[in-house]
Amino acid sequence: MSPSFRDGFREGFRAFLPLSVGLIPWALVTGLTMSGVGFTPLQAMGMNVIVFAGTAQLGTLPLIAAGSPVWLIVITAFVLNLRFIIFSAAIARGFRGVPAGARWLSGHLLTDGAFATCLERMLSHPDPQWRLGYYLGPSIWSWLLWQVFAFCGVMAAGSIPRGWSLEFMATIALIVLLVPMARVRPMLVAALVGGGLAVALRGMPLRLGVIVAIVAGIAAGFAAESWRGKDLP
Amino acid sequence: MNYDWTLWGLFILLGLATTLPRASFIVLGERAALPESLQKALRYAPAAALAAIVAPDVFVTGGELTVLSPRLAAAVAAVLAALLFRNPWLPFIAGMGVLWGVERLLLAWMG
Repeated sequence: MSPSFRDGFREGFRAFLPLSVGLIPWALVTGLTMSGVGFTPLQAMGMNVIVFAGTAQLGTLPLIAAGSPVWLIVITAFVLNLRFIIFSAAIARGFRGVPAGARWLSGHLLTDGAFATCLERMLSHPDPQWRLGYYLGPSIWSWLLWQVFAFCGVMAAGSIPRGWSLEFMATIALIVLLVPMARVRPMLVAALVGGGLAVALRGMPLRLGVIVAIVAGIAAGFAAESWRGKDLP
Repeated sequence: MNYDWTLWGLFILLGLATTLPRASFIVLGERAALPESLQKALRYAPAAALAAIVAPDVFVTGGELTVLSPRLAAAVAAVLAALLFRNPWLPFIAGMGVLWGVERLLLAWMG
């Protein structure tokens, strides 16, 4: 482990630490839900380690509980994680000079929070070791929090009052990531279109509305940028 | 649970279905470059995606559009805290404080 890897690791961890609290209620809720579906603690933690994807886990649990066919459950999980193809492509340049094994690990550990935290520095820092550290710091911390607090949720199933709405802390974490981005006009357009369409299309099956909203939001931001570009000399 | 061992097979399939999209371009790297214009457009992916995940959480309750809700008030508080102050914990304190406060007020109001 090179010193620059350790430097990056520490800096990435520090940048992500305050945002990471948003994962805790989400992991607790996922743990509670997995127990609620009837998983044993071993099965619940097995899913949590193997799948490691909050939205996909929470989205497929009702289907598993209902005894749905395996293909439907798997396709639903895939669709719920489609947005990560976009994230993966956007951050890929940050992994030049990083060996294949570390890339697979990094891919498996990719989350909304790690992506939003790391993207800018990943694309601008010259040292591949530093970049890998800067990415793995937040990612490994997310993984640990996710496992520990999902386990707490599994163990605590039934004794945490639902009225506390703790899962809203995850929404606040995403808002905290979104606010600085939306200071740039085309980004704001992308966010407004993406958010508006996600609400408008919430009735689409398999949460496909979210995918349509993201694609339309990206197109709107791109269009807003080109439009503004024409007005300037 | 009538899946038993099939359940573990399902977990592995789910792991593949969620990991392949995430690993796709990170693993392929330079061998599969996206076109320049697409890359430019992708800069808007985080803003569009985060908003697409957040907005239904804030504006939709039980499948119905709700313009005034404790969660909207909490989201506004979190946005203001993030805009006006540098303290990274404040949006969480403000957002959860407003959420709980407004929920308690509504409960008291309705008796």
